[in-house]
Amino acid sequence: MDKRFEKLIFQAIDQTISPADFQRLQDAIESDAEVRQAYLKSLTLCEQLGEIAQDTSVPDSTSVLTTIVTDATATDRRFDWRLLGLAATLLIAVSVGAYRLGRQDNRLRLGSRLTESLSEEMPPLSSAETQIAGHATLRRGVALKWPSGATRHREGDVLPNGLLAFEEGTAEIDFFCGATLIVEGPASFDIESDWSVAVTQGRLRANVPPVARGFVVRAADSEIIDLGTEFVLEVDSQNVRVDVIDGEVELRGGAHDGQHLLTGEGVSLKGDAAAMPSPASISTVSDLQQQRRIADERSFERWKTFANQLSLDRRLIAYFPIASGLQDGLQSGLLGRVVPDVAASGQQSNGRIVGPVTSADGRFGDGSYGLEFDRTGARVRTRIDGTFRAFTFACWAKIDSLKHRYNALFMSDGYENGELHWQIRDDGRLMFSVMVDDTQKTQHFSPQDNKMVTQAGLHRVYYSDTFWDLSQSGQWFHLAAVYDPANRKVIQYVNGTPIASETIAEKFYVDELHIGAAEIGNWGQPFRKTPWFAVRNFNGAIDEMAIFDAALSGEELRQIYESGKPVGY
Amino acid sequence: MTNPAQNDDHSPRPASDSPAEITSECQPERHSRAAEREVQYDRFVALLARHDLAIRRFVRYLMPSTDGVDDVIQETALECWRKFDDFLSGREQANGVDDSANDEFVRWACVIARYKAMSWQRNRSRDRLVFRESVIEHLAGSAVELIEQSEHRRQAIETCLDQLSVNHRRLVLSVHMPGESVAQIAKESGVKPRQLYSKVNMLRSALLRCVERQLTGELGNG
Repeated sequence: MDKRFEKLIFQAIDQTISPADFQRLQDAIESDAEVRQAYLKSLTLCEQLGEIAQDTSVPDSTSVLTTIVTDATATDRRFDWRLLGLAATLLIAVSVGAYRLGRQDNRLRLGSRLTESLSEEMPPLSSAETQIAGHATLRRGVALKWPSGATRHREGDVLPNGLLAFEEGTAEIDFFCGATLIVEGPASFDIESDWSVAVTQGRLRANVPPVARGFVVRAADSEIIDLGTEFVLEVDSQNVRVDVIDGEVELRGGAHDGQHLLTGEGVSLKGDAAAMPSPASISTVSDLQQQRRIADERSFERWKTFANQLSLDRRLIAYFPIASGLQDGLQSGLLGRVVPDVAASGQQSNGRIVGPVTSADGRFGDGSYGLEFDRTGARVRTRIDGTFRAFTFACWAKIDSLKHRYNALFMSDGYENGELHWQIRDDGRLMFSVMVDDTQKTQHFSPQDNKMVTQAGLHRVYYSDTFWDLSQSGQWFHLAAVYDPANRKVIQYVNGTPIASETIAEKFYVDELHIGAAEIGNWGQPFRKTPWFAVRNFNGAIDEMAIFDAALSGEELRQIYESGKPVGY
Repeated sequence: MTNPAQNDDHSPRPASDSPAEITSECQPERHSRAAEREVQYDRFVALLARHDLAIRRFVRYLMPSTDGVDDVIQETALECWRKFDDFLSGREQANGVDDSANDEFVRWACVIARYKAMSWQRNRSRDRLVFRESVIEHLAGSAVELIEQSEHRRQAIETCLDQLSVNHRRLVLSVHMPGESVAQIAKESGVKPRQLYSKVNMLRSALLRCVERQLTGELGNG
């Protein structure tokens, strides 16, 4: 429906609509069934919100009416039609009141307990607009060492406002205004706004394009206002020095208040500038890129050795090391739509690319790949027969957003007995589930959805806590789920660390596990009887999907994570 | 079912068998008539009491605002009582039993309500905002289905409201809450009323989407 009508509808309900718009709305209500439905539904919503608002604000007004009407109906049974009007109106009033009172009791009894337990265990889904705090992002980092106990930021993270410090390494930080800082550790600074930063320690190179002119760096008792292009700043406990590499800066405050520095000029803002190393030694963007490329290549090589070894693990059901699969002469494989399964054991269940799967930048930078599923029809199909006694699913996933209610990692098509679904819910929780008995229909109260849910088949969804939010968009995570019937445990991991462990209840026990026809990054339901399908494609990239007929230990999963983690983890 | 609107000229007028006549004199055959009428009255009040909320909702759907809703309901109730005989005889002709009168009563009363809502607006056609008749017809056609869903909708709305933050919940309810208003919240929070109002509408849209999602149900979430 046209968005403009939505606005007109609310204006009409709130009686703020102009006569001309009211005529337009009437025309649309008459001619367009969709607008008509939208009007009626919006009106219902507003009326019922009104009832709810009344419930919460005037709980006692109904009792008065009840008394009046009880009297009226008990004594006044004559046939005076003039009285009927009064009685009927009162009746209407009283039953609306009673209805509200009833609802209220109900809400007090059920509602408050539910909200209570919800707020403790499962925060409800929010339908409001998402917001995150921050003024800058970490664009690139080489050999960054964060203080113990501090948050370890990764590339692409939105950096929160406030103090930020690291002990070693070099970071490239993009402020939202467009300014870029290259900061060498040890460094400590306060990100104050999109336009300003205060430095207490570190060496930095500030690159300020025209769009960010006016960017302010504070150090010692001065403000350095960049009027264009590039300067370097060195701050240690005794000395502070600024040098303009190219362009112009203005100084405010301190001894040099009002002074302008041009290309090649520099001043000491505190202490003795001669004691400091040459400003030219501070990394440039291309230095950092070069360092980064070398670090990426090293990690990539180390992981390839590990992946070759892992492919020999006899417990593997299938192994898709996508990052290298493309580079090692297999690029034609991708063009030919084949995602190679390199597990030495198992059935060589190569995946087949269907729809608009694209190859994304991999987790080791240039030369490594991931498969991206951000368009609705994108999927990699495979078929794995056999019966298994346990499952471990592991993969790397770069989550751009959780745009659907359920976002698929690996899904059996039909979800028949013993088959699995592995996905992420839109509130950032991992979900792993296995069908126990697909002939049963079950109903249960879902605390996640705050309502009774009917499900086809008896199965159990194991949820983790929330591990992801939008501030981590585009970052790689190693995810794993271990389904272990022998020990009656389901354990889920993020980056080699267990984040959820749940016992398999007797009712949900199943030890004959299957995969069958299945998909990476989407959910295919080719046997459904209608054209409609649930949209669950994964908005991001997936790499190194590994499936084992075994419950891997925490130590093993930690090792897979350590051997495959990108630079900066 | 009898069409209650057939003879309706939109002006309240005592029906020929109005109870007002009955009480004027006390003749024997009129006594039994009166007793019968009393039984009917009890039945009528019971039906009305049971369905007044549905009728109220229906009327509200056909009116551009809450103004006049009470008037229309009262006129509808009176007209229903006047024509209750027609309703009963229509039912007896149809199936001879009246245990299942409920649904039919609502539908019958809604037909009357539709004409009352039309005549109310016709009499105020010089006012700024009233619906024209053809629009009321269209709305009435779609409203019945919504009335049947209203309980489910109400539950869905409460579920969705619970998913909002405390502040958003307060804001979206404030429009309807005595002693609360967007202006008040604007004053407390320093946000412009205009911005808050557009936020109210965003929240309403979000709630609408949430309600639809709740009502259509989701495909199995395994």
